[in-house]
Amino acid sequence: MDVFGSFALILAFVCAVYAFVGGIVAIITRHPLLIKSARQAGIAVCALIFTATLSLVYLFFTDNYSVAYVVSHSNRDLSTFFKVAALWSGQEGSLLFWSFLLAIYVISVLLTYRNKNGELMPYVGVILAGVQLFFLTISNFVASPFKALGVANAAGGFDLVARADGNGLNPVLQYPEMVIHPPNLYSGYTGFTIPFAFALAALLARYPGEKWIHLTRKWTMIAWCFQTMGILLGAHWAYAVLGWGGYWGWDPVENASLLPWLTGTAFLHSVMMQEKRGMMKVWNVWLVFVTFMLCILGTLLTRSGVVSSVHAFAQSSIGNWFVGFLCIVMGVCLAAYFKNKDYLKSENQLDSLASRESSFLFNNLVLLVACVAVLSGTLFPVFSEWFTGSRISVGAPFFNKVNIPLGLLLMFLTGVGPLLAWRKTSTDSMKRNFRGPVSAALVGCVLLFIFGVREMFSLICFTLCIFVAATIVQEFYRGARVVKVRSGASWLASCVDLTLRNTRRYGGYIVHLGMVMIFIGLAGQAFNKEVEKELPIGSTINIGKYELLLQSMDRKQEKNYVADRMIVEVMKDKKPVMMLYPERRNFPTNQESGTMVAIYSTLKEDLYLVYAGMNPQTNLPTVHAFINPLVKWVWWGGMVVVMGTIVALVPNRAAVVVLARTEVPSGARELSGMRPAQVTLREGHD
Amino acid sequence: MNSATRPRNRRSIWLRFSIGLLLGLLALMPPGAMRLLADQSDRTHQLGSKLKCMCNGCDQAAGKCYHVGGAYSGPCDTAKTMLKEIDTHIAAGMNDQQVLNAMIQQYGPLAYVEPPKTGFGLVAWLMPISYLLAGLALVILVMKRWRKRPVAVPAMPGAGGVQVSPEMLARARQQAQRETEE
Repeated sequence: MDVFGSFALILAFVCAVYAFVGGIVAIITRHPLLIKSARQAGIAVCALIFTATLSLVYLFFTDNYSVAYVVSHSNRDLSTFFKVAALWSGQEGSLLFWSFLLAIYVISVLLTYRNKNGELMPYVGVILAGVQLFFLTISNFVASPFKALGVANAAGGFDLVARADGNGLNPVLQYPEMVIHPPNLYSGYTGFTIPFAFALAALLARYPGEKWIHLTRKWTMIAWCFQTMGILLGAHWAYAVLGWGGYWGWDPVENASLLPWLTGTAFLHSVMMQEKRGMMKVWNVWLVFVTFMLCILGTLLTRSGVVSSVHAFAQSSIGNWFVGFLCIVMGVCLAAYFKNKDYLKSENQLDSLASRESSFLFNNLVLLVACVAVLSGTLFPVFSEWFTGSRISVGAPFFNKVNIPLGLLLMFLTGVGPLLAWRKTSTDSMKRNFRGPVSAALVGCVLLFIFGVREMFSLICFTLCIFVAATIVQEFYRGARVVKVRSGASWLASCVDLTLRNTRRYGGYIVHLGMVMIFIGLAGQAFNKEVEKELPIGSTINIGKYELLLQSMDRKQEKNYVADRMIVEVMKDKKPVMMLYPERRNFPTNQESGTMVAIYSTLKEDLYLVYAGMNPQTNLPTVHAFINPLVKWVWWGGMVVVMGTIVALVPNRAAVVVLARTEVPSGARELSGMRPAQVTLREGHD
Repeated sequence: MNSATRPRNRRSIWLRFSIGLLLGLLALMPPGAMRLLADQSDRTHQLGSKLKCMCNGCDQAAGKCYHVGGAYSGPCDTAKTMLKEIDTHIAAGMNDQQVLNAMIQQYGPLAYVEPPKTGFGLVAWLMPISYLLAGLALVILVMKRWRKRPVAVPAMPGAGGVQVSPEMLARARQQAQRETEE
């Protein structure tokens, strides 16, 4: 099966070469059969990548320890569930997995639009084939997951060998979330290839109309949704497994995942200016280009060892390939832009500073500054080594200090944007729109202060969250009131009806509401408490309102590990609340250990217990307890963000009435210009 | 008081109240509230959280080392050694800055958790500010250019009525529809 997989991979490479070169020739010659064959080759590439990936999964399932990658990342006792996760746990497998996810996107695009956008699709096919070609080059010639296990022989060659068992999977990856976090994150990274392909194709083809920008936006939203889920699942995994009490450490790999998310978010806002007013075309195209390039840069950072990270894969020369690819992509984007920049001329002017357009401009400014600040902070150790000869570390406190004010500014703009009208907002309208949210925010701020919230950034954050939430409620209220008057339905039904009639707008507000919840959770970090104590059996420690009693310890023998557990009774006001079982897992195969945190989670706070281990000097178990306020808001907020994005992706339920020009008698034309009697229906895009 | 001045006075009272409220809240805030993170109770841990654990394995601050994958989820041996060294410096009567300087001298600039605000480290702090200022300047420039851009002037009414081509009308309708949808 390893030969089969390897063969499928090399065949995929050959087909990708044909799809790429044949596609370019097809664009030049405009030969219909050649265009069709290049597209078919693109579909074949995807099918062959699926075959290769399934072959590798089969090798894991059948414990084939003659393949080096399987030996390094699996063992016989590893559960079937985690054997799937082993596919992406190492450099070679994760790159094949990358190609696999990209192939899902590519085949979806090629099949969905096979009879549509005839002028655009050949370009899209060539760009996608080019990206696939790069990853297939890596998987075939640089980091093949099908490399056979071999030992050097006396003749200077290699003898193929097979091992009885493998080295096992990294223990920190043996958690259910690790089976869903990387696929989500990679789906985000790879998904940004599609909007990149549409934007570049439209620029190269000078594709007329606005269709391409709608397609780009839709695919960006899909990728953005996966990226959001991936980031949050990764944060939750770090929180529930690593046992340090937090969920975001500003590690270079975490930062790498945030960068395209930030530019993608900026694009999803600024694209509205292009759709509505024909503005920001150059900016939007470059945002899509940069988002894709940041995905590649993130991969480069993760895999090259340029920056040190606890997440990073083994150091290798693979980074040079990514640098080369990044240079090619940049070169192509610059050439396409300078050749066709007149195609991106703006159609409108800015009418007023007090407008939705200017709020989007500032929103983009803040998101881009945050992105560049995180990127330069991540790369600063490398810069400092170049300039001074020694590395200067840039850790979490730096990123917090830089990004907290930017985050608050962004939250402020999230509230302001929906209250401003397109083109120009009159003073009266501003007063009417701002009165409610500002009043709610001020009252909330005073109440929070009275009830003891004295941390400045947290207080500002909570106040802004109230402001944004009030803005959203006001928007729903105003829209639903109109629906309710017309239909006589209940408030809830009116809200649902309103949302389904304009999914993009109200889905966007739901996303904003999710972000408010996430910011509430982030602001809660200022009130964290922690205590660490050696705890003899039968003794207690106190943290916050909780009293923790260590009742006993036990040991569980599982198939792939041994777990030592603390059995802790949680009491509040002397009354038992629940039992918690923090544990340490020891994996004999690779002689490593990991923690399994026990969490009692409420909307108000998390009681977070870590069994740190036995103190070798005293032979007493040590417990590390944390009170982390409002953490649950982050996870629930994430779910609301995803839900809002899905709502925004759903087409509007009701068609939008569009006035159509009709032929009218010449005399009447002078009076009316158009007659609203005859109408056409079209589906609104937002 | 006439009806024209009343709203202005009301607005001015509202504005004064809001500003007064915000200033009052800021004045009431204790100095410690300006800090983002909660104070560490232990001075050693506080100083340790400003220094990176030099074990080359966890990438965490020495005062917050949890060492993933280790046999013990807490400070690793390197972090413990660093915390002991901080204790020794404190016992010798050093102030916080002296302790940090001594540790950096021993471990090199890599031991900073955040870049120092002197020398090349200052560049790291200036970079985000410069991005914000440059971005702001760019946005203002773009806005100015947009506002100066000439606007299409509609055809003047002539003897035969308004001379607007059907294409222009269709475009205007589309634009109006697009811009009033949301």
